[in-house]
Amino acid sequence: MLSKFDYQRPKSLQEALTFLGEYPETKLLAGGTDLMVVLRRNMQIVDHVLDIKEIPETKRFEYKPGEGLFIGASVTVNQISESEPVKERYMALKQAADSLASYQLRNRATLVGNICNASPGADLASPLLVFDAVVHIATPQGNKEVPIQSFFTGVKRTVLNPGEIVIGVQLADSETEDHSVFLKQARIKGHDLGIAGITLRMTPSHKVSVAMSAVAPTPIRLVDLEKQISEKSLDDTLPEWLESEIKNHIKPISDIRSSADYRLHISGVLAKKGMKKLLEMGGK
Amino acid sequence: MRDQELKHIGKPYNRKDGQEKVTGQAVYVHDMELPGMLHAKCVHSPHAHAKIVSIDTSEAEKVPGVKAIVTGKDAPYRVGLYMVDKNLIATDKVRYQGEIVAAVAAVDETTAERAVSLIKVDYEPLPIIHNVDEALEGNILVHEDLHTYEHMAGVFFPQKGTNIASWNRTLKGDVKKGFEEADFVLEDEFSVPAVAHVPMETHVTIAKADPYSDKVEIWSSGQSPFAIRQLLAKSLGINKSDVHVTVPYIGGGFGGKAGIHLEPFVTILSRAAKGRPVKLKATREEEFNLLPTRAGMRTRVKTGVKKDGSITAMEIYHDWDSGAYADYGVNVGKTAVYSGAGPYHVPNIELHSRTIYTNKVFSTAYRGFGHLETHWGIERHMERIATELGMDPFDFRMKNALKPGDTTISGELVYKTTGSPTACLEAVAKEIGWTGRKTEAERAEELKTGKIRGKGLALLQKAPAMPSYTSTAAIMQMNEDGHVKVMIGAIDMGQGANTVMAQIAAEELKIPMDDVEVVWNVDTDKHPYDWNTVASKYTFMGGNAVRKAAKNMIQQMKEVAAQVLRCHPDELEHDNGVIYHVHHTHRQIPFKKLAMGYMYENGNGIGGPVIAHGIYMASGLTNPDPETGQGRPGLVWTFGAHGVDLEVDVETGEVHVLKIASAFDIGKVINKKLVDGQVLGGVIQGLGSALIEGYKFSPDAKLLNPSFTDNKIPTAKDIPDQIVPIYIEDPETAQVDGPYGARGIGEHPMISVPSAIGNALYDALEIDFYRLPLNPESVALAIANASKKQ
Repeated sequence: MLSKFDYQRPKSLQEALTFLGEYPETKLLAGGTDLMVVLRRNMQIVDHVLDIKEIPETKRFEYKPGEGLFIGASVTVNQISESEPVKERYMALKQAADSLASYQLRNRATLVGNICNASPGADLASPLLVFDAVVHIATPQGNKEVPIQSFFTGVKRTVLNPGEIVIGVQLADSETEDHSVFLKQARIKGHDLGIAGITLRMTPSHKVSVAMSAVAPTPIRLVDLEKQISEKSLDDTLPEWLESEIKNHIKPISDIRSSADYRLHISGVLAKKGMKKLLEMGGK
Repeated sequence: MRDQELKHIGKPYNRKDGQEKVTGQAVYVHDMELPGMLHAKCVHSPHAHAKIVSIDTSEAEKVPGVKAIVTGKDAPYRVGLYMVDKNLIATDKVRYQGEIVAAVAAVDETTAERAVSLIKVDYEPLPIIHNVDEALEGNILVHEDLHTYEHMAGVFFPQKGTNIASWNRTLKGDVKKGFEEADFVLEDEFSVPAVAHVPMETHVTIAKADPYSDKVEIWSSGQSPFAIRQLLAKSLGINKSDVHVTVPYIGGGFGGKAGIHLEPFVTILSRAAKGRPVKLKATREEEFNLLPTRAGMRTRVKTGVKKDGSITAMEIYHDWDSGAYADYGVNVGKTAVYSGAGPYHVPNIELHSRTIYTNKVFSTAYRGFGHLETHWGIERHMERIATELGMDPFDFRMKNALKPGDTTISGELVYKTTGSPTACLEAVAKEIGWTGRKTEAERAEELKTGKIRGKGLALLQKAPAMPSYTSTAAIMQMNEDGHVKVMIGAIDMGQGANTVMAQIAAEELKIPMDDVEVVWNVDTDKHPYDWNTVASKYTFMGGNAVRKAAKNMIQQMKEVAAQVLRCHPDELEHDNGVIYHVHHTHRQIPFKKLAMGYMYENGNGIGGPVIAHGIYMASGLTNPDPETGQGRPGLVWTFGAHGVDLEVDVETGEVHVLKIASAFDIGKVINKKLVDGQVLGGVIQGLGSALIEGYKFSPDAKLLNPSFTDNKIPTAKDIPDQIVPIYIEDPETAQVDGPYGARGIGEHPMISVPSAIGNALYDALEIDFYRLPLNPESVALAIANASKKQ
C-alpha cells in the first residue's frame, strides 16, 4: 500500500465537516471493506482518511411507525440482518443483507458504504430503491435529502460532493402486510458478487415495484415496467410475462463475471421466481 | 501380513502435527524473521509479450532504506526442472503479463513497494500468442532460442523454430488397420482452462547468500527442498553442497510448490544486498499472476469401435497451453504418452502430446499432473461412444477397462497386482444406484419441477510422473529412552506423510505411536534425500524406505543383543520395546539398554548408538521410446472411479451435487482418517475444476481474474451433500511391492470428477458439454440454446 494517510476519528458531525472543509479529498471510512481494497491495490493514493463511526448521528438505527426505518451510516450489514423491524417489514432488505459477501465481512460492512461505493452490482441498492429510501446527507451548508433514485449517477459515481457525508438512509414506512423478495444470482453459492440482483415489492394495495442491480451502469428502479405491471391482473400468467418483458427494460453488459446473454436470461428467471414468491405470499 | 497381526497400519490415528497447527504454534516461513532481514517487492510486466527497451532505477535508488535493486542484467541465469527455459528475471523481453522485470530489497515492505513504484520500464510491445492454435502457426516465437535450451534429452523433444516445447508420441499396434476394423468412428474435441492451485499459504522464500563464498541458505515454502538445492545450484553454477535449504511447515502445495520457484531469484537479491537475508512473500495476486498454474489443454480424439463395443483404435492430440514457460510443464505433457487414453485396453493407438508456449502465465505441476485434463476429454468421449452405440456406459467401460494380461498404451503389462479399475467402477455404480440412463419420459416428468437429476460415471488412473531413477531415503535414530526419531526428505504439506511414516516405523519396531516422531523442518544438510514431494509416491516409496530402516534398526539391536544373550541373532524376536529369545522369552533386553550401546555390569560397552537408514529406488522403470512412447514409466498405478448423482436447475443452470461416490484400488489403507482427508479434499478440488474455476484473459492476454474477487473456488456452501469414499483392499489386487500392499492416492480423488459430472449432466439433460467449467452460465445457456433448436 503506497498511501501514507493521516487517520481522523471525529466525535461530532461538526468536527467531521470542518475537517472535510479543510481537506475535501479525504476518504470516508465506515466498514472499510471497499476502501481497503482500493488502498491495498494502490488504485487511489490517499492522504487523509476520516472514520465516521464515532459520529453519533451515524449510529442511529431505528424504526418509527408512520415514519419508517432509519439506518445510520455506521450500521453494519449484520445489524440490519438481525433487526426485528427489518425482518417484519423489509424482508428483501434482510435477504439482500444476508447475500452480501461473507458473514465476517458483514460484521464490518455497512449499508451506506455499499451505496456510497456505488457499484452497479451493489446488493443493498435494489431493496432501497423499492422502499423509496431517502439519503440523508450532511453538507457544510446544512443537511439535504436525496431520493435513492437520484443518488447514483454512474459506475462508482454518486451525487455526493467533496466535503459531504451521508448520515444515513430513511426507508419509507412499510406495513407487515407489505411483501418483498430479493433474489441474486452469483457464480458460486458461497461468498460472491452478484451477476444480477432483483428486488420485487408488493404493497397491501397490490402496487408492485421492481429494482435491479448489475444490469445497468447503476442500480435501477424499473419504473416503466412497474407501470405495465399495474395495468395487468395479478394472476398466474404474470410471472411468465414478467420473465420475458423485463428483458426489454435492462441493458446488461458482458464482463468477467458474466456474459450479457446470461445476465438477460437470469434476470428473466429471477423476476419470474420473485413474482411467483410475491404472489404466493398473499399478493393475490 | 494379515490384518489382525498389524498394530498400527490401518488405524485412523490423528495427524501428528494436528495440535501444533490448530493451536497456531506451527512455524511457517511467512512467520520467520532473521536479524538484518530485508523485504523484497517486484516490478511486473504489464505486457504479455514485449521487448524491454530500457529500465530506469535511478529514482528508486534514492528512496531511503533501499538496499538493492536488480534487473535482468544482474541475473544472467536460467532455471528449470525438465527444460531449462526460464530466466530468473525477464531479460531482453517479457513473455507474459505478470513476469518479474525488476525487484527491490529494502528495510521494510512499504519502502520496497514505494521504490518499485518509481522504477520506469520502457517496453516495445510484440505480437501476442494467445492460444495453442496461434502458437502452432509458428509465425511468432515465444522462445527464439528454444533449440539451445538444456533439457532431458531423449525424454523431451523441443521442436526447433516452433513454439512446441516438447512433442511426445505414443505409437502402439497398427492404427490404420485398427480403424479399418471399426464399425463406427467418433471424433470429438474437448478443452479445459488454466486453473490456479490456491494454497492457503502463498509462495515465500528467505535467501541468505554468503558474500564471501558461494554458500547460500534458503528457507522456503517449497514442496521439494532437494530439488530446490539441485536446481538452484545448477542455475547459479555453484556446488549443490553450497546450497542449504530448510522447509518448515508449509500451508499446502498441490504441485504449485514442487520444483523450484522464487528461490534463485531471491538469492540474487541477497547477493546484491551484500549477503543480508532477503524475504519475498508472494501476494495473492502474485500467486495467481506471477507464479505458475495448471495448463489449459485441448484434446482432439478419434476412436474406432466395433458393434460389440470393443475399442479397435484411437488417435489423440493433447495440446497443452503451457504459457510462457514449460520447465515443469513438459513433464505434465509427457504423462499423456502412457496415461492419456484412460484406463482402457486400446490395441492400436497413435497419441501426440504437445506442450506449447503461449504468452500467458506459465504452467507447472498440479495435483493430478495432467490427468484431470486428459481424463476430462477421454471420459466424456467414452460416454459419447457408449451413447452412439446404444450401450450402457457402465457396460462399455467394463468391457474396455484394463484387465490382467492387457497392456497399457505404452506397452506395460497389467498384472493382477496392478489393481482393478473394474472393481472401482462396480463399487461406485452400486453406491449411486446406477441402473442405466434416464428415459425421455422420466426427464419430461422431472422437467415440470424445474430440476432434473442425473447420474454419471467415470474411470481414472494415475501412476507417479517422475524420472525413472527417482529415489528416497529415511534415517532413524533411537534415543536413550527407546523413542525413535525418523528423518525423511519429504514434506508433510497436509497430506499426512509424517503420520503415515510414524505408523510404518511403529509397526515394524513394534512400539507405541507416541514413541515415534518424524522430525519436521526438513533440512537438506541433515535430512536424507528425497527427489520431490509429488506424484502420490511417498507412501509407496518413503514407506518402503522407512520399513527398511526399521528392519535395519532391529537387526542392529539383535546383533548386539545376541552377544549379550549368547545366541544367534536369528533366534531373537522383538516386541513391546524389548529384544527377546524366541523360545526362552525371559532372556530379553530392552531397546533402551541398546540405544546408545550396551553396558555390562563391569563397565564394558559393546555396540553403540543405534542409527539406521533405509532407501528405496524406483525399480525397473525405463524412459519411453522416443518414437513410440513404449516403455515402463509406471512405478505403481492407482485406479479409481467416481459416480455422481446431481440435480441441475434448468433455469439458473446451477448444478447441485447430491452425492459423489469415489472408489480407489488403494491396496491397503494405512490411515483411514488421512486417506478420507485426501479423498474429500481432492473431490472438492475436482468439483472446483468441474463447476467453477478457470483463468480468463483479456484480448491483450492480461489475466482478468488475479484475485479471489473473480477467481472463485468452492466454499462450504458449494460442496456436495455427500462424498462417499470407497477403498478396494482386496489382497488379490493389492500392490505386492508396496508397504503392506499400499498404493498412492494423494492426487487421484480430483481426477475425473469433472468427467463424471459432465456425464451426469448428459444423463440429466441429453446435452453434451465439451468445455470446463460447467458453471451456471454455460449450463443455462446450453439448455436455452438446446430448447431453441427443438
